[in-house]
Amino acid sequence: MRRVMALLEKEIIDLSRNPAVFVPAVLTAVVSICLPFLIAVVLPAVTGEPLTGSSDFRVAIDALDGTAVAARLDGEGLIQAWILRQFVVLLVLTPVAASMASAAYSVVGEKHARTLEPLLTTPLTTAELLAAKVLGSLLPATVLTIACFGVYVAAAAAFAREGVYATLLTGQPLAIVFVLGPLAALAALQLAVCVSSRVNDARSAQQIGALVILPVAGLLVAQLTGTLQLSGTIIAATALVLLSVNAGLALLGVALFDRESILTRWK
Amino acid sequence: MGMPPAADRPPGDADRMLTADHLTRQFDARVAVQDISFELRPGEILALLGPNGAGKTTTLRLLAGLIRPSSGQVLLDGVGLHGLDGTSLRTRIGILTEAPGLWDRLTVRQNLLTYARLHGLPSPSRAVDEALDLFDVRSRAGDLAAHLSKGLRQRVALARTLLHRPGIVLLDEPTSGLDPASAKEVRALILRLRGEGRAVLLSTHNLDEVDRVADRVAVLRGRLLALGTTAALRARFFGERLKVTVAGDAQQFVSVLGGSSGVDIVRADGPVLLADGAAASAHAPEIVRRLVAAGADILSVHPEHVPLEEVYLHLLGEGSTES
Repeated sequence: MRRVMALLEKEIIDLSRNPAVFVPAVLTAVVSICLPFLIAVVLPAVTGEPLTGSSDFRVAIDALDGTAVAARLDGEGLIQAWILRQFVVLLVLTPVAASMASAAYSVVGEKHARTLEPLLTTPLTTAELLAAKVLGSLLPATVLTIACFGVYVAAAAAFAREGVYATLLTGQPLAIVFVLGPLAALAALQLAVCVSSRVNDARSAQQIGALVILPVAGLLVAQLTGTLQLSGTIIAATALVLLSVNAGLALLGVALFDRESILTRWK
Repeated sequence: MGMPPAADRPPGDADRMLTADHLTRQFDARVAVQDISFELRPGEILALLGPNGAGKTTTLRLLAGLIRPSSGQVLLDGVGLHGLDGTSLRTRIGILTEAPGLWDRLTVRQNLLTYARLHGLPSPSRAVDEALDLFDVRSRAGDLAAHLSKGLRQRVALARTLLHRPGIVLLDEPTSGLDPASAKEVRALILRLRGEGRAVLLSTHNLDEVDRVADRVAVLRGRLLALGTTAALRARFFGERLKVTVAGDAQQFVSVLGGSSGVDIVRADGPVLLADGAAASAHAPEIVRRLVAAGADILSVHPEHVPLEEVYLHLLGEGSTES
């Protein structure tokens, strides 16, 4: 564990001295925060057409009306709450997508910088190396997600109908941000690091790693179209699946990491 | 009778810190190194010489346990590496890779501190402070590695290699690309390692460096072409050399020395006569008498080392003829 912490600290220092890495993450986070407010607050205010006037949001009223979280909301607030709650998934997705670059670059980047071989001469095990690399991307992604969620809730309190923000501080959104989000991020970043230790080119690693975003993006679309509602049961089942996937990926990562090939065949 | 120098003695068990035992490594169909055997002794510098692609880096990686041999084995204090866990192996061996491999966005201190913690040193900060002092880089401890000169980077990399005080040090071209002053500093550090009783394997192209610091030389070209002290290799291939400087052109005296005892090859280079043979120095009086009798005005006579370069090129020539 001490060795993981040593390398993790190095990863964090390295990232903090390269703020350009965070620019795409921050930009996508800003878009993720602004997009739902544009739909739920800005457009109705600009056009003068309330959300309740559109039959497209019938699904929102059906989903939330009569539930405890929406007890004090009027029709407009109900739809705003539904939109903002649905977009929480996007909020979780974007920092992960942005962290993919650093995760995908993690091993192949060390090789190209010629810093990997000295690292492999230390007692650091493969599992420790991969753990530090994954955590080095996961921690900033998680911090960014939580920070974005804080801004999101504050913006809801400031700009949405009264009481809408409180619907974001209930079981489902909190489970997405604090349970599903980190677990999905861990899976995605583990896969990216696995890819990074198997390909000889950072761009390939990033492109292949980006594919892991697709299932989460699919989840977002399914939610927005009303095909899927993330109930407590579905969230719990998804968390269990993600836990298993993460355990499998941890073992796979160690098995796939071929020190000899990395040292002798990568140029 | 005095003891012969350590480098000339056959090694006892206690002398074998690290042993390459018939090491062969193939990459697909290509054989990188074949049937290499030698041992590394405490308090000696063994130079690994060879052209590019000769298998020097592969040999270093095999010895450090970074890659596995296709056949043969590496023994650490007589125990095969396969019987050791990675931690105990890497605690004993320090390897300086060909590139310094410093993290550019970390300071010198942060680079060293990370490695001190990776090695599990009990007082990482103190170990780093000692290394900064030892390698005279304390004044640059707060500088980003990216801002260091090449020589300084190499010095920091060497400090990193030795942080955990390994008894065996493997150095891959440590002075490559350094200016003469930096290279001299690195050589002084290497000599200090020998003085501390560590076993040093030095992979290099620099023959002058080998002549200055190495106790023994292993010449490699896929397989081991020769192993011994520089003096033994010189004697093996060229015997001794006597350098006689005469007034005027020496060419006219070449035939005079033909057939002299202990002299096999005589050649002239301007006013200099070079006589190579198994015992050229011992026959110096006879050589001088012959030259004087032939009318030579002798300005100086002294034994000379055959340049290591000649030995090396001779070996590589032999190697390529055999292969």
